[in-house]
Amino acid sequence: MSENIFKQNGNGFFKLPILAAFIALLGLADAVYLTIHHFTGEAVPCNMVTGCETVLSSQYAEMFGIPTAAFGAAAYFLAFSLAILAAYGNRSMWNIFGALVVVMATFTAYLIYLQGFVIEAFCQFCLISAATTSLLFIIFIFSKVYNSR
Amino acid sequence: MESKSNNNNSGTPLLIIGAVFLLVLIGGWWFYTSSKSKPNPIAKNTAANTQASQSAAEIYANSPPGAQPPHILGSQTSPVIVEEFADYQCPTCSVKYPVLKQIASIYNNRIKFIFRNFPLVQMHPKAYDAAVAAEAAGLQNKFWDMQNLLFTKQAEWSASTDHRKLFTDYAQQIGLDMPKFQSDIVGLPAKQRVDSDLQRAQGLRVNSTPSVYVNGLLVPFEQMTVEGLRQIVDAELQRTGNSQNQPKTENSTETGQPKTGAENK
Repeated sequence: MSENIFKQNGNGFFKLPILAAFIALLGLADAVYLTIHHFTGEAVPCNMVTGCETVLSSQYAEMFGIPTAAFGAAAYFLAFSLAILAAYGNRSMWNIFGALVVVMATFTAYLIYLQGFVIEAFCQFCLISAATTSLLFIIFIFSKVYNSR
Repeated sequence: MESKSNNNNSGTPLLIIGAVFLLVLIGGWWFYTSSKSKPNPIAKNTAANTQASQSAAEIYANSPPGAQPPHILGSQTSPVIVEEFADYQCPTCSVKYPVLKQIASIYNNRIKFIFRNFPLVQMHPKAYDAAVAAEAAGLQNKFWDMQNLLFTKQAEWSASTDHRKLFTDYAQQIGLDMPKFQSDIVGLPAKQRVDSDLQRAQGLRVNSTPSVYVNGLLVPFEQMTVEGLRQIVDAELQRTGNSQNQPKTENSTETGQPKTGAENK
């Protein structure tokens, strides 16, 4: 049943929202770093190892004049808050968390497409964000599959 | 039962959320202020590389010569040689483009400014095509005009799915003979020039762009400003006894833009 993930004496799956909150914190730190980098924006040389500068200075680094990473930071903070509320037993928050994570994963897929096929360069900090969003998505799906058993 | 214990805990999640929010604000502000004043680590590495100036000068002297004749602004014979390695798709190269343009213009015939192609093809898959397009324009004496468009419109073609079409548009804008340009961008001579520059860059172990050498010594990235470069160039001009009133005869055009070695060919 849907309570399973919140039961402290279950099979340990009550920890899923807590785990999600920690991963959202990682994503939040990464997105905050990228947002600040956007504003301090000192040019660094391009080198053979990373295409970060290419990605972060592309036209896709901003949407409506706001750094794309700032949207990420807001989304991660929201995901963290929802996961914490869910971890403390507010089950409806877990469903809202799920809806948010689906939106985040969709947007992440678009950003990966942009890096791979349009900008043709990858930034490791953006890839970290993609990984954390994917993990959040997997955790949510896992919790649903587990609960539906 | 469970909901009761939840009610007892209802303040805790909000406290955690509030604490994280504050932490992000304070941490973010601290990071923002500290990263504004700190030189970046890659620049430090570049500066550290420059410390080994002795061996660097040897490597510089023994590296492959690059495309001949090179693209030169200023004097063909000045003892002060400023050599830039750049990648047209590198955003920092386009940021530094006005700086180096200004240096070439300030010193005019007192220095020999050389541009070299160093497309970082692993990171910038359109950079090689851009370098070839500039070289193809160079075959019609319009290298610097094409370079200007490639750097100033970098965001446009770099994000485009059809960058070659845009290069053709730029070629038209600067008045190139289009059939010749179309055949030159697929022909060998332009590519060979890019490859020769690449060999020189690899010989010099250039690992980032833009890289600027003044008389064989790599300029630390943080000094790649108009002021920073002026200090270095002035010191070299003084050292070589070339600082005073050089004749402005060589290669100057009426518009003040000197011709390139390649274009003189």
